[in-house]
This record gives sequence, structure tokens and C-alpha cells, in this order.
Amino acid sequence: MSDASPASNATKARRRHRKQMLASTLRVLLILVVAFLWLAPVAWIAATAFKAPRDVLSLDILFTPTLQNFVTAFGPNYQLGNRLMNSTIVTIGTLLICIPVSTAAAYALSRFRFPGGMAWQLGLLATQFVPAVMIIIPLYVVLRSAGMLDTPASLIIVNLSVLIPYAIWMIKGFMDALPMDMEEAAMTDGATRFRALRDVVVPVAMPGIVTATIFCFVVAWNEFFFALILSRNEAVTLPVSLMSARTDRGDAWEIMAVIGLTIMIPMMLISKLVQRHFLKGLVSGAVR
Amino acid sequence: MNDSTLKWGLLAPAFLIAAVVLIYPIAQSFWYSLHDWNLSQSPELGPFVGFENYLRLLTADPEFWESARVSAVFSFFSVTVTITLAMALAVLLQGGSRLEVGVRSILVLAFSMSPALVGISWRFLLSPEFGAADALIKWAVPAWRNVPILADETTAMIALVLVDAWHWVPYFMLVFIGAMASLPQETIEAAQVDGARRGRIFFGIVLPQLKSVLGIAILLKTIFSIKMLEQVITMTKGGPGTSTATVPFRVYETAFRWYDFGYAAAMAYFLAFVMLILAFVYSHFVLREKR
Repeated sequence: MSDASPASNATKARRRHRKQMLASTLRVLLILVVAFLWLAPVAWIAATAFKAPRDVLSLDILFTPTLQNFVTAFGPNYQLGNRLMNSTIVTIGTLLICIPVSTAAAYALSRFRFPGGMAWQLGLLATQFVPAVMIIIPLYVVLRSAGMLDTPASLIIVNLSVLIPYAIWMIKGFMDALPMDMEEAAMTDGATRFRALRDVVVPVAMPGIVTATIFCFVVAWNEFFFALILSRNEAVTLPVSLMSARTDRGDAWEIMAVIGLTIMIPMMLISKLVQRHFLKGLVSGAVR
Repeated sequence: MNDSTLKWGLLAPAFLIAAVVLIYPIAQSFWYSLHDWNLSQSPELGPFVGFENYLRLLTADPEFWESARVSAVFSFFSVTVTITLAMALAVLLQGGSRLEVGVRSILVLAFSMSPALVGISWRFLLSPEFGAADALIKWAVPAWRNVPILADETTAMIALVLVDAWHWVPYFMLVFIGAMASLPQETIEAAQVDGARRGRIFFGIVLPQLKSVLGIAILLKTIFSIKMLEQVITMTKGGPGTSTATVPFRVYETAFRWYDFGYAAAMAYFLAFVMLILAFVYSHFVLREKR
């Protein structure tokens, strides 16, 4: 067959080759379009942070960069320094409570039988169906009468309602997959169960705990709705302060961009980690 | 310390916190929903009215049903668009080349953005006259030159759906890429050797095996879409008019703008109830598919 008509075979091969070239060129073009659609908006916001107010409303790509917006944002009108501090306190506070507490509970639910059996796990899952607005109404009333509105502590408390179930679910999934042998070995060597947990299980389960920590970090850092309701002046976090860029004299978009960039920077720094852990966490947390 | 003390001791902190920040508010919300209570009029819980708030919701509040319609439209389109695009991009970007990995990290960055930042950024990008995306769209489609995107009922909804998809596509894309990577490669390779076309391999071999992941992804995105609130607050404020005022947005306004806590709590319960029904129907369907 093949040596019967070498010429036509060669044309066929060339044609197939050309077709493949065309397909892969199209594919690369498509990928570039996707990259543009997701990168350009972020890049535009980042660039806006360095534009003088008169350049903000122009669509020119070239402009003279300035750091004036950062000075304004950190000034008395926008108090970016204070907002940054609040976001940091709330995020770290949430993590410091959420992660140890969830790790302990995850271990208990993973290794012991509880009366009620599956009900505990279903309860964890059911929290997914609770709208945030339902939780916040009574908590607002309680925090208001306790005089705790507009404090970082109130934001930490409310964040825990979302993050503890998530973190338990994630860490538990990870611990379920760990063999019991090591703890048992440690315990037959005379260690108490608590020591076995602290010295053997926690180090081995570290990747799962790190995943949960990163997940909680991203959610707490980006949290907007609870903070919008519970903060006025003192405890305003970065995402809520985005709203303050809407002034009576119109929207100060360059300030919004500065705040936005401040919110994004930690995410950019840990984006490799986020890619590896956060997504894994969401999948195992919600899907399993 | 014996095992029983340890097991309850380990669970206790989490359980106590959950009791305060989850169980109490869930129960208390229901109690509020049985009362006529406006916080701006009285700091004390108002008179008990039984299921009157629910009755008002079901029979005498056309605006609520309008918001239910808005939520249904938004959820349907945001789930469809997000899942379809995520699957398409998963196929496009599943490889390990430098370009594909690089573009994937760009997409992940968009996903790790605060939802409030996503909403407010797009409001900026879509504003008439100085919005970069607005200008680009109008350059590409001259027929829309006079459409103020966020001030027109239809285009505002389209924008809300697409911005939500912009935010969530990266996440579901990675879920699908992960699922595809864990599929057994033999059948796919065999089909390739047999000279099957890429499209046939995808629709005939890959997609059927992704059924359960796809089902879970659709359920998850449905819940996320029904609960979505940040972008309505930051991007459209429910407008123009009430054209993008979803149910969570109405609950939020009823509670924290009008301080009608009793009625807002009833709405929140109704919302949770609908989600639970959806989840039941869905998990039943998905679980049966699996068997």
C-alpha cells in the first residue's frame, strides 16, 4: 500500500501536519485570550493604584506613576494602616483559635465513636446550608447588647462560625486516611494517648493542618459580609474599607485600587501555596 | 487521663464555640422569625405572632417573590456558565507545559481575591466612559455603544452572572483538572491509538467518568450561587431597581437597613429550607447515579 503511491501519502502527511499546526496555533491563541481575560482586570486595578486621579478616568495605557495614592490612603481620611492592622488581628486571631480547636475535634471525631454516630458529620455538612444572614441576625443582637459591636473580637467570633466546621471537616478527612499503627505503637511504648496525639499524630497530619490553615487564612483575610455589618469605625477591615472609597464627591477609584492591591499582596505571595493547598482543601472539605 | 475524658475533652472546645456561634444563632433566628420585631423601634423582642411572618412571605409579599425569581435566574445561569466554562478551560489548560501552568496560576489569583474586591473592581471596570472593560466591550460590539451595562436590567444581570463566573471558574477548573488526572489513562490511550478524535474521546470516555465529580460540582456551585451576596452589595446594590436583588440581598436589607429582624429571620429560614430541599433532591439523584 504505502509504496504504491508515495506522492499522495506525502501530501496526506503534509496536510495532516498543517492541520495539526493550525489546531495547536488556535489552542495557544485561545489560551492567551483566557490569560488576558483573567489577568487584564487585575493588572488594570494594580496600575490604577499608581495613577494620579486625573489619569484614573483616562483609558490610556501610558501614564506617569505616582505613590501619592498610598500616602492619601494611609492618611487620616482612609486610615489604611489601621485597616491593615484590623485585618491582620482578625485573621491571626481567627487562625489561632480555629486551628488548634479544630485539630483536636477532628482527632476526636476521627478516632473515637460518639453517641449519635453519623449525626456529627452530617451536622458539620449541614452548616453549609445555613445562610450567613441567618447566623448574623442573632449574633448582631447579642454582640450589640454586650457592647462588642465594632471590635476585632466580634469579627473573630463570627468568623469562627464559618471556619470551624470547614477546618474540622478538612483535618478530619486527612486524619481518617492516616493509619492507626503509629499511635498504637507509641501507646504500647507507654505514651499516653494525648502524648501520642501531640507527638505522633499532629506532625504526621501536618500537611492536612497546613491546608486547613491556608484555607482559613484566605477566607478570614477576604471576609467582607460579617465585617460590613459588625464594624463602623474602629474595627473596619480591608475588604470593608473598599466601600469607603465611595465618597460624596464621587468614587475615589485610585484609593479603591490601593486598598485592593493591599488585599491582594498576601494572596500573591502565597499563591503557589494556595494553588497547592487551598483548592485541595475546598475539594476534600466539601466533596468528601 | 482515660480515653473517655480525652475524647470529650478534645471535642469540647469546638463544640462549645459551635454552640455559641452556630447552634444558638440558628435556634434563635427561628425564635425571632415567630415574632413581630423591628429593632429600630424596640431593643426588646416584640410580640409573638406565630407563623404570621411566614404567611406574609408566602402570600402577601410580591417583592419577595420577585427576589426569588431573580435568585433563580442568577443561580441557573451562573451555575450553567461557570461549570461549562470551567470544564472547557480544564480541557484547554490541563497540560503541564509552562504556558498552561502559568495561565493556571493567573486564574487562581483571581479566585483568591476577596469577593468584595471582585465586585467593586468590576463596577469600576464596567462604569460608562472610564471603565476599561466597558470601553473594550463597546469597541468589540458597536451595537451596545449606548447600553449602560450596570444601569440596564438585562445587562446588569448578565454582568453579575459573568463576574461571578470569572470568580469561580478557576476553582472548578482545577477541580476538573484534578479529577481528569486521576482517571485511568489506558482507555484514553487505547482510543488514541485507534485514531479516535479528541472530541469523541472527551465526550465518549472522559466526560462519562467525570459524572459524579460533575454532579458534586453542580450542587456546590448551586449552593454558592444561592448564597452569593458580596457582589450584589458591591457591584449592583441590587439594581437597577430590584433587577439584581437576590433573596440573600433582600434578607440583608430587611435586617440591616429596615431592622425588621422578625421578618428577615423568616426569609432566612425559607432560604435555608429551599437549599436543603435542593440538596436532598440532588444528593438522592447523584447517589443513585453512582450505584
